[in-house]
Amino acid sequence: MLQLADKTQVYEYHEKSGHIVEFAGFLMPTWYKGIIPECAAVRNAVGLFDVSHMGRMIVSGKSAEAFLNYLTPNNVTGLKPFQGHYSVMCNEEGGIVDDIIVTRYDQELFMVVFNASNRRKDVTWITENSKRFNIKLDHASDKVAMFAVQGPKARATVQKISKEEVSKIPRFGCGWLTVDEVRCSASGTGYTGEDGLEIYVYDAPVDEPWRAMKVWNAILEAGREFDIEPCGLGSRDVLRLEAGMCLYGNDIDETTTPLEARIGWVVKLEKGDFLGREALAKQKAEGVKRLRVGMKILDRGIARAGHEILKDGKLIGKVTSGTLSPLLGYSIATGFVPKEYFNEGEKVEIRVRDKTLAAEIVKMPFYDTSKYGWQRKA
Amino acid sequence: MKVGEYEYQEGFYYTKEHEWLRIEGDKCRIGLCDYAQKQLHEIVFVDLPKVGAKVTQMQSMGTVESVKAVADVFAPASGEVVETNTKLTNSPELLNSSPFGDGWIAVIKPSSLDQDLKALMDPKAYAEFLKTISEKK
Repeated sequence: MLQLADKTQVYEYHEKSGHIVEFAGFLMPTWYKGIIPECAAVRNAVGLFDVSHMGRMIVSGKSAEAFLNYLTPNNVTGLKPFQGHYSVMCNEEGGIVDDIIVTRYDQELFMVVFNASNRRKDVTWITENSKRFNIKLDHASDKVAMFAVQGPKARATVQKISKEEVSKIPRFGCGWLTVDEVRCSASGTGYTGEDGLEIYVYDAPVDEPWRAMKVWNAILEAGREFDIEPCGLGSRDVLRLEAGMCLYGNDIDETTTPLEARIGWVVKLEKGDFLGREALAKQKAEGVKRLRVGMKILDRGIARAGHEILKDGKLIGKVTSGTLSPLLGYSIATGFVPKEYFNEGEKVEIRVRDKTLAAEIVKMPFYDTSKYGWQRKA
Repeated sequence: MKVGEYEYQEGFYYTKEHEWLRIEGDKCRIGLCDYAQKQLHEIVFVDLPKVGAKVTQMQSMGTVESVKAVADVFAPASGEVVETNTKLTNSPELLNSSPFGDGWIAVIKPSSLDQDLKALMDPKAYAEFLKTISEKK
C-alpha cells in the first residue's frame, strides 16, 4: 500500500529552510546551508538537529527494571534515577535488533530511544517480549519531540533558555527542563562525538506542534551568538562516523553482534539472563572471528558502503560506512574484517569502482580526542 | 539565462543527465550543468578521465562526488579526451561556483559529432526540460 511520508513537529521549518529527503518514512532535511558548514558548526560551536523521527517508548511499572534487564544486555539495575546508558536489543543469536539509549527517570519509569528506521520493528519486538512482565508500555514517538543540541557551545546555548542548571547534567544523565514554560527534559547524549544535550519536548504531538516549534526556535535564537546552525541528516551521518559510532542498517544489523561491532561494553554477561545471552557468552568464550574497524583512506577518493576491503589483493571484508571527513580533510570508513587484521597501522586496500585505494586501520574516533569531541581539553 | 533557480547558457548543447557540451573549433568542451551541481551540492571529489581515453556518448567518463553522493559524468559526445581540468583535483568546488566556466571537466576531440548532436538538446529544448523537472519537484 502506498504510504505517505511522515513529518515531524518542526517540518514546517525544514521545508522552508532545508533540502528535504525521505528517510525511514519521514520527510527530513539532509542539509540546510550545507553538510560542510553544518559539521563545522558542531565541531567548533553548536548545531541543532531535529531527531523527532526517532522512536521513543516509555516503560513503567514494578517489573520495568526486570523487563529491560531481560530485553537488553546492559545492566539496567546499575542505573540510578536520571541516569541512562547506551545499549542494544539482541535476538537469540546475539544479533543486534537495534541500538538504543535506555534512561531511568524514576525507580519504575524508563525511556527507551531507538532508531527511526526501526520504529515499527522495535515496537513489535518490545511488545512481544514484554508479555510475561508486569509493565506498561507507552509508545511516545508521536507525542514527544526530540532535538539534539550538539557541540562545545551546546550547554551554553540551552542554559540561556532554561532556569535549571544544565551544566550539572552528566554525560548520559538527564534532568527536567522548562523552556519558555514548555515542559522538557534534557539528556547528556548525542550522535556526534561532541558534548551536547538531547532535549525532549513533552505534550508535543505532531498535529499540535506549537510547543515543539517554540523550543526549536528558542534554541536557534539562543545559539545565534555562537553562530548556531540547524543541521540535517547529512552532517549527522558524517559527524557520527568521525566519532566512530555505528549506524544501524549500515554498520550493524541482526547478523552482527555487539562483540563484533566493538560495542561489547554494553554486554554484561554476569548480570543474569537476557535475550541473546547464550549466543553472546559462547561467542565471547570462543572469540569473535571478525571486528568492525576504522580505516583512513590514504589515496584520494571516497570509500563508501558496499566497497570491498582487500589485503594483498584478497577480499577480506566490506565497507559499511564511508565519507569524506571535512574535519580531517581525507576519507574515512568503517567495515568488518577478520580479527587478525585488527591492528593499528595495518595496510589494506579498498576497491572503489575501477580503482584500488590504499587505506590503513586506525583507531576510532578518527579525530584527535584532545582537540575534538566531548573529551577535548578546553 | 535561467529557469527558476537553474542557469543555462546560450550556444551550448545539453544531455538529459545535465552535462553540457560547447563546440570549440574541432574540439568540444564538456562540463556539468548548474542543475547537476545544485543537486549534488558541495562537490568534494572529482575522478577525471585520463587524457587519451576514448569516451562514448552517454557512457560514464568520470565521477563527481559530494560528501554523501556519487554521480557519473556521462560523455555528451563520443571521442578522445585531449585535455582535462586538473584544477578540479585540488579545487572541486569550482564545479559548484562556476559550472559553465572554470568548472569545466574535459576537452574531447569528437569522432562523430554531427551524429551525436542529434541526441543532445539545444538551449531552448534544455530550458523546456528544466521547466518540466522543476515543476515536478
